[in-house]
Amino acid sequence: MLLVVTYSRDARTTLRNVCRSHEGTVVRRFGRATLLEETELGAFLALRLRAKHGDDVQIERTRPFNEFETVPEAVRAAATAYEARETPSTPYDKFAAGTDHPDSEAMRDADL
Amino acid sequence: MRVRIDGTVREGWAVEVTGVEATALRRAIRGEASPVHVECPEPGSVHDHVACLPPSGFDRRAALAAVARARGHEAEQAGELVAARDELAAASPPAVDVREARRRVAAAGAEEERLRERVAELRGRIQARHETGADTTAVEAQLDAATSDLAEAETERIAAEQALDRAERAARKARDRREERLELEDRVANLERRVREELAARVWETFRTAVEAVPGSATVGESPGAYEGDATTAALGVARLAPLDAPVVVDGLDRFSGADAAAATLDAPVIYVR
Repeated sequence: MLLVVTYSRDARTTLRNVCRSHEGTVVRRFGRATLLEETELGAFLALRLRAKHGDDVQIERTRPFNEFETVPEAVRAAATAYEARETPSTPYDKFAAGTDHPDSEAMRDADL
Repeated sequence: MRVRIDGTVREGWAVEVTGVEATALRRAIRGEASPVHVECPEPGSVHDHVACLPPSGFDRRAALAAVARARGHEAEQAGELVAARDELAAASPPAVDVREARRRVAAAGAEEERLRERVAELRGRIQARHETGADTTAVEAQLDAATSDLAEAETERIAAEQALDRAERAARKARDRREERLELEDRVANLERRVREELAARVWETFRTAVEAVPGSATVGESPGAYEGDATTAALGVARLAPLDAPVVVDGLDRFSGADAAAATLDAPVIYVR
């Protein structure tokens, strides 16, 4: 999908108007950002916004997230285990210490 | 006030004209180019809201805020608003220049792809010539050249990707600044709204009284903003309330019998268009 984020009131207003008149191309709206279908029309709308508002419009392309494809088993298991912890107040690194779960520092430096 | 239309001059506090567009009069009052001529004091900020009655669009709150300012009221948050506006004017977030970096990556990628295909094609040709026992010297020279070009293209593509990466990181910082500016824009807009509300509230009681004195049916409640009625009646109330030096154009509004009645009710100079 195409993620369009706006950085000024004018750009945000234009985005709102564009979304209103092209509902079929809008996947999801969040305040000053929108996810558009990854079609030529989606790209056209995003580029139109950038042509009008320049640097106040950011366009990114998103990829589907498949944790079974891209996330190591250890990370997935750690997330599930941490959310099932008995003491809610335990911070993650304390929870992970002395277990096989990766510490947050190691995960920070590891790109997917 | 002096109104001159096609050589005919009319003077006074209340003037009646016929066959003139209200917009032409309005332009003349503002000192803009117009086929008619109006000599009058320069219109103030309230005048804009009630320049022509009935109004084509009327923002009651903004008009009342303008009246309050003209009457010397000041909102508590006025100072804060000025400071926020100054801060916004001074905010100049750096440009986010990633376009050229993106273009370079795309061009380098395309060139690399083209050379890769070229190398594959030359390899195929050499293979074919080997099979038929033909001489491969010339093609091998071409392959050497293409292989070396491909290596260069790869280097360029990697460099371009790294440059894009750096540009993206810089852009992220620039966007942080833009985000701060957006927050500031929102803050200014909120303050402007609150200041308008506050100022409008300051003159609400007098507005209620004014509306009762003008022709039209409207109900004005005690709490600021509680208004039920048409925009024209509200605009008449504001006109009566506002200190107006420049004339108001009353465009065939049959709630008034004529210029004199309108000027008396609105307590303002009037050009009445029949």
